[in-house]
Amino acid sequence: MTGWLDVLPWAVAAWLLGIGLYGVVTSRNVVHLIGCLSVVQGATYVLLLSVGFRTGGIAPVFYAKPPSTSAVDPVTHAMVLTDVVVGATVTALLLALVLQLHKRRGTLDPEELRPMRPK
Amino acid sequence: MTAALLPPWPVAGPLAIAGLLLAGGRLLPRRGPDVIALLTTLGVAAACILLAIGAADGPIVYWFGGWTPRDGQAIGISFRVDLAGASVASFIAGLFTITLAFAWGYFDEVHAHFHVLMLLFMASMVGFCLTGDVFNMFVWFEVMSVAAFSLTGYELKASPLSGAVNFTVMNTIGSYLFLGGIGLAYALAGSLDMASIGRVLANAPASPIADAAFVLMATGLLVKAAQVPFHFWLPDAHAVAPSPVSVIFSGVMVALGIFGLTRLSFAMFTGVPAVMAVTHTLLLGLGVASVVVGGAMALLQRHLKRMLAFSTVSHTGMLLVGLALGDRAGIAGLLTYLAGHGLVKAALFMVAGILLALCGGVDEIELRGKGRQIWPAGVAMAVGGLLLAGAPIGLMDDGLSSLAEAAKAAGNVWLLPVFAFGAGSTGGAVLRATGRIFAGLGPVAGIEEQSPTEQEQEKADRSFPFMLVCAVVPLLAVLATSHRVDGLAERAAVQLGAVAHKGAPVSSLLAWSGVAFALLLAGTGLWHPALPRPVLKTAKFLVRPLAASLSYVHSGAVCDYVAWLVVGLALFTAAFALV
Repeated sequence: MTGWLDVLPWAVAAWLLGIGLYGVVTSRNVVHLIGCLSVVQGATYVLLLSVGFRTGGIAPVFYAKPPSTSAVDPVTHAMVLTDVVVGATVTALLLALVLQLHKRRGTLDPEELRPMRPK
Repeated sequence: MTAALLPPWPVAGPLAIAGLLLAGGRLLPRRGPDVIALLTTLGVAAACILLAIGAADGPIVYWFGGWTPRDGQAIGISFRVDLAGASVASFIAGLFTITLAFAWGYFDEVHAHFHVLMLLFMASMVGFCLTGDVFNMFVWFEVMSVAAFSLTGYELKASPLSGAVNFTVMNTIGSYLFLGGIGLAYALAGSLDMASIGRVLANAPASPIADAAFVLMATGLLVKAAQVPFHFWLPDAHAVAPSPVSVIFSGVMVALGIFGLTRLSFAMFTGVPAVMAVTHTLLLGLGVASVVVGGAMALLQRHLKRMLAFSTVSHTGMLLVGLALGDRAGIAGLLTYLAGHGLVKAALFMVAGILLALCGGVDEIELRGKGRQIWPAGVAMAVGGLLLAGAPIGLMDDGLSSLAEAAKAAGNVWLLPVFAFGAGSTGGAVLRATGRIFAGLGPVAGIEEQSPTEQEQEKADRSFPFMLVCAVVPLLAVLATSHRVDGLAERAAVQLGAVAHKGAPVSSLLAWSGVAFALLLAGTGLWHPALPRPVLKTAKFLVRPLAASLSYVHSGAVCDYVAWLVVGLALFTAAFALV
């Protein structure tokens, strides 16, 4: 059956990407901006999981099941796990940078945090 | 050890040593980490050269854990070492060696942390060049990015931290898009092996999902390659990172974005006509825009490292033009130019590092005449500027000739003046700064006075002759390898799958016009008060609004940059709608 349910995950992924980018563009606080970045990342989670989904498939654990049983694709799960690790690393690094930056500039507004200024 | 078992080592070796250094760095004597890191990079360079020799007759494919494909179905992860990948990897390891030598004693206070990050950085770059699996490529891309982010903000001062935040946000969005593209490619092909995906896509009917996969992957790599309109993070990051790190950033990291896109295009998308059409049109346009914008912005800078950063945007644009032309001469030119530009830019950033250490800054207006005592560095910088401008000698010139030949073969003769503009404006900017800093010329600053700058200093108690030697070595390498790598680059391009078009060699007029344009611009920058008043007034009238709007767009606020990224995505969508 190809109905709206098949399209839904793709639409959700596109929506998360769009709204996340909108949030980053309009953000006035770097911590909020990092949150929006995680929303953008959420789009990749949903996309990958929907790519690997098989209707009626079991979890890819074949203990006490014949190997030919239809199962969801574990490769995309491995990709999502890697993606989670990447996201955690980058978020932690960004928060550390922002913490140091706040100590030096005393603000979190991206407009005020430009790297160099004209004399 | 045979070449067939060698592929994992140039990546696994430095990763293991980085781990050991992190664990035991404190127990080592003061120069211990320097020595170990240098030996590691030398070892990796040797291994990559062996791989390149082994790959001369055809790619070496290594399946990790013995997971070879069965019935044509690739489940495992492979390194697919071709001549281009192994040569670029050797170049990377060589550049890291000379950079670590240049950084000798720079990072004393922090034990081995700098070296750990640099080894991680190098291992991920080499992995990026050698891998045959597209998700594995993403992982190396990401490791490379994280190492780069932390190296940028290393100084923990306000400007480096801000630059690192802009760099991180832009590149992270880029890598998420890249990953989304991989997901779509996997949905179509059911495999992550580049060669398998390529076979499936070539036999599948045209599908918007394949187009979308290309758009997302290309955007991710073009953010890394800092091409218009995704380039805004680059000057922020390269200008504030420690000089040895900037050497690597501008020397090879940015160009790897284009190299990755080249590998992806040839391995996966040659059988998709819509993607090829967009490559030949939109990517060509973006490359040309980068050449022009980067060149113009370089001329407007007073902060030397920021100037060099914009020059990198411009010259990387030439690489993208080579990819967009896509024939054998174009790809061979891309590979040669990548090496030539990387070496010249490395030398120039090392001269900037020398100025930061010995003169306490890189602002050309404040440093006017202060470089007289260290004039040999000025000679190196002038040579670097002339090579950037396209002087008809050395690797850069070889690459540019090939690119020009490809442009002519494709009937795009209008690209030649674009090349001359990019080369001339970036070379001119460097020559102007050289004249001002090392000869005390140009007492009246021009329009560059209004551009952003920063007070800074790098660790000073390092030996000037030694640093200078490190900066001169890459320049000598560029000159000594003149006309020696053309054959290698051509064979690498053929192995990637580029076909030859009949082209005619380009006369050396192109090279000389670049140099002449550079000298004209440098002369105008230094002696503009001597111009007749009406000429000066007209020039100001014409240049001011253009310069002001360009500077306005490069705002320094990351939110604006992401808005431009969305514009870039829209451009791609429009291009696919039109073909």
